[in-house]
Amino acid sequence: MNCQEFWNTAPQPGAEAEVHLASHLAECPACATKWEHQRALAAGLRLVAEEWRSVEAPARVEAGLTAAFRAQKGFERRPARSSWWMPVLAWASAAAAMVVVSLFLVRGWQPTAEPRVPLAAPQRTGPVTLEFAAQEQDGGAPADMEDDSSGLGNDFIRLPNAARIEPNEDVNLVRVEVPRSTLIALGLTVSEDRTSDSVLADVVLGSDGMARAVRVVDEGGSLE
Amino acid sequence: MELMNESQMAPDASQNDDDLFVRLRGGDEQAFVTLYRRREGAIYRFAMHMSGSATAAEDITQEVFLTLLRGDCGYDPKRGTLSGYLFGIARKLVLRNLERSRADVSLEADGDEVALPELAVHENALADLTRREGIETLRRAVLALPRRYREVVILCDLEELDYADAAVVVGCPIGTVRSRMHRARALLLEKLHQDRNPKLEVGPLKPMRCAI
Repeated sequence: MNCQEFWNTAPQPGAEAEVHLASHLAECPACATKWEHQRALAAGLRLVAEEWRSVEAPARVEAGLTAAFRAQKGFERRPARSSWWMPVLAWASAAAAMVVVSLFLVRGWQPTAEPRVPLAAPQRTGPVTLEFAAQEQDGGAPADMEDDSSGLGNDFIRLPNAARIEPNEDVNLVRVEVPRSTLIALGLTVSEDRTSDSVLADVVLGSDGMARAVRVVDEGGSLE
Repeated sequence: MELMNESQMAPDASQNDDDLFVRLRGGDEQAFVTLYRRREGAIYRFAMHMSGSATAAEDITQEVFLTLLRGDCGYDPKRGTLSGYLFGIARKLVLRNLERSRADVSLEADGDEVALPELAVHENALADLTRREGIETLRRAVLALPRRYREVVILCDLEELDYADAAVVVGCPIGTVRSRMHRARALLLEKLHQDRNPKLEVGPLKPMRCAI
């Protein structure tokens, strides 16, 4: 075996050289010296690896990803099996939406003249004009962003029960695929025959990594 | 007593990556969290070593795992391991980040590796690597390697992938990984030797008035 063959077949320096490689090292001082230096370097690199082994991404990355996961999967866990109360819940939600719409029509809606400050534009844009069937859900906070001082554009819909975004809060914007059926929970009208389809949505994550608001973007046009 | 079916059981640490992947695609959040916690450290460190920036590493780690959530993430167990797939995505994002920031400092320009001269190996370059400053010096030397050598050193030496897995991540034959590793180590030894024996540098001469 010559030197070139040795280095072409040499194992990683951390490992022991095999017998036929060791015989070359025994008869070639230059390669033996070089091999020892490489082994010393490998040992040094192992120290670097050990020193860095405990380095991990900040916890906020996991929080943000978990929030994005939930947003994509419909903001709540799917039931493991079909339940008898699902149709009841659907009808109750529809009834609640009707009540809210009625209140909305009776009281009227006064849009504010607040200037719209959009978030940093994501890569793909094209917000769809949406019909809001209801802006309140479960008696919680208003779902629209009209009184929000966060600087979000008014095409973002605040999630039910989500914390308010503070003016100087550090938020992240992630784009995920959301089942159309999820949009019903946000008060958007979605045709029943397409509820299983997915739609792109921008989700605003607060500094705690929790989803705060969502904006639907769909290059395909209307949600209807 | 009702038995829980497989999809209802919480994932444990013994489950392999592919099982966790199938479960997370089915909406199992715990599977996603388990997989994330198992792999995020290596991805974050890889991005950190490659980019030299904690901020970039954080963004890249987030983007890597967001890719897993997308319907068309493109992972195919027949083509490689999930770990390799994640490293592959991280590598692409790192390269994009480096191109964008133009922060790729190197010992020399990324040229044809065959054209590089054989480097001398110096005896005392590693004498004090057991010390903490030695470790930091070595890490800085890794960071200063040209990108193509840096990535194989990080994958094989720091994250302990074998050459075959590193070849899949980098997208080149295993022989190329081997030769790059060989060259990278020679460059590291040379760099360490230079750090220990800096040449005397004389700054530009300025005329001075002095009283004699």
